[in-house]
Amino acid sequence: MTLRINVPDLAFAAFLVALGAFAFALSAQLSVGNAAAMGPGYVPRGLAILVMIYGLGLGLRALFSGEAAFPTVELRPLLLIMGAVALFALLLPVAGLAITSFAIVVCAGFASYDVRLRENALAALVLAAGAVLLFVTALGLPIPIWPG
Amino acid sequence: MDLFTNLATGFAVALTPANLGFCFLGALIGTLVGVLPGIAPITTIAILLPFTFTLPPASSLIMLAGIFYGAQYGGSTTAILVNVPGESSSIITCLDGHQMAKQGRAGPALAIAAIASFFAGTVATVVIATASAPMAALALKFNAPEYFSLMVLGLTGAVVLAHGAPEKAVAMVLIGLLLGLVGIDVNSGAPRMTMDFAGLGDGIGFVPIAIGMFGIAELAVTLGKPQDRKLLAFDWRELWPSKAELRQCTPAMVRGTALGCLLGVLPGGGAALSSFAAYAVEKKSATDPRRFGKGAIEGVAAPEAANNAGAQASFIPLLTLGIPGNAIMALMVGALMIQGIQPGPQVMTSQPQLFWGVIASMWLGNLMLIVLNLPLIGLWVSLLRVPYRLMFPAIVLFCCIGTYSAGNTVFDIWVMLIFSLLGVFFTKVGAEPAPFILGFVLGPLMEENFRRAMYISRGDPLVFVQRPISAVLLALAAILLVILILPVVRKKRDEVFQE
Repeated sequence: MTLRINVPDLAFAAFLVALGAFAFALSAQLSVGNAAAMGPGYVPRGLAILVMIYGLGLGLRALFSGEAAFPTVELRPLLLIMGAVALFALLLPVAGLAITSFAIVVCAGFASYDVRLRENALAALVLAAGAVLLFVTALGLPIPIWPG
Repeated sequence: MDLFTNLATGFAVALTPANLGFCFLGALIGTLVGVLPGIAPITTIAILLPFTFTLPPASSLIMLAGIFYGAQYGGSTTAILVNVPGESSSIITCLDGHQMAKQGRAGPALAIAAIASFFAGTVATVVIATASAPMAALALKFNAPEYFSLMVLGLTGAVVLAHGAPEKAVAMVLIGLLLGLVGIDVNSGAPRMTMDFAGLGDGIGFVPIAIGMFGIAELAVTLGKPQDRKLLAFDWRELWPSKAELRQCTPAMVRGTALGCLLGVLPGGGAALSSFAAYAVEKKSATDPRRFGKGAIEGVAAPEAANNAGAQASFIPLLTLGIPGNAIMALMVGALMIQGIQPGPQVMTSQPQLFWGVIASMWLGNLMLIVLNLPLIGLWVSLLRVPYRLMFPAIVLFCCIGTYSAGNTVFDIWVMLIFSLLGVFFTKVGAEPAPFILGFVLGPLMEENFRRAMYISRGDPLVFVQRPISAVLLALAAILLVILILPVVRKKRDEVFQE
């Protein structure tokens, strides 16, 4: 049999093996018990082993199941959208909802290839005001509006 | 007779001004997210989940249910006028609906979609009301082994009916089960796989996972593709279909509704699957199948009836057995849990007002939806003119605030970020996130019942096949798996999903 690697399948299989191994390591110190009186580690460890074996099987098959390249990932939207989410987590505790909202809408806006500067800034302003009014004023969420 | 007393109880709850308001709000939000491509009902429900905490349980569920079936109405509008499905369940409506619009018959297409949805919604409400009592009665006979086997069957069904490669769906279920176990073990109090994060003590948050995988990940993937939206104009005066068209559609509507009710109850089933199946049935049974794809009105009526019936029928296993059949129902479990209600067959007897109130509200919601959709269609259409580049940053913002408000901690935002990245990865390697969510929700329940069953049997795994109900459930799961492996069926299944 010749090697005909299906890269997406292989990547998924590698993920399964890694996740299984990680979960196994994390539940290593939990007591297992026995089938009649299971400890907290019984099911997690069993599942972790199952995930690993399953991943190995999928991986082996992926080596011979026909060539397929990993699909292209559009980096700009991916990085900017994820960046906006990270920005929210970093900014909110220090800057409050108003500034955070403005910042992440501007950041996320650039994920689109047809972003327009002034329109984006205006949308961010409107959404920041809207978010504060809706979530804090109307719905009463305990989120600080301003830094402090 | 009982049915009428029960429905009367239900309408008494659903008709209170507050609940009518929440029903309307749900239907309105549902239509809105249904019309707008890029934001799915599941994301919306996940974002709104934290806000339902302060509502009474019935109001909360009434509103969330309204979003789900409301989105089935809204989705068709976008499919017909723009040829972009507003929701995954209206993909199939694009085929003939958009062709009708191109031929200048957008009005009748929209009207028939709404009429079919309403018809299906009405029938589905009655089906839920009649099917629930016997289902719940059966479920009361269930013990730990039966529950475990039922969940095995449910997850098997989710794998069989998942889009894409079934072997990847199996893997997703397994990952879901595994991650569902993170958190403090209820039996021993030992923290499991928490990596000493306090935020993981109660397990990985359901809201950040759902919003990350279905909201943020979806955005990051769609933004990579070119956005093309061309709105077709339609004439207001030609909204109503002709008598001939109505007659032509009626059998299709009935078949679509029946199929939707059936497939909606199945684990892994629901709105999208029902619409695909209904379209396939219409095409196969038509005297002239060539009309389909060229503006056949049955091709709009059947899937639109089916997706609405399927959406509502998927509440049956949730309300009677406490087992979610699809990812949205898994969120409903979350909605019940934050209210302190453990979903299961006891809900019907211990919370009759909640149970029947939600069912009655579905019919009222459908009534509101037909009013919202037909005369107000112009309003929804104008929303579609808002460019996507302005909409998606707003969605990102709402996703963040929604996740944050679930626990008032930025820890959940980081969790959401991780699952957004995972969601993109899963999409790229062709693995569906829906089976993952089901596994995640069922993980702790399955473990609990597994442990209890094994404890009762003193460690003998044969307990699962020695008890008749449990054995039947496992046998059904095995049959499903065998069917899936048979090459003939696999080919057929691929064909169905191709269409």
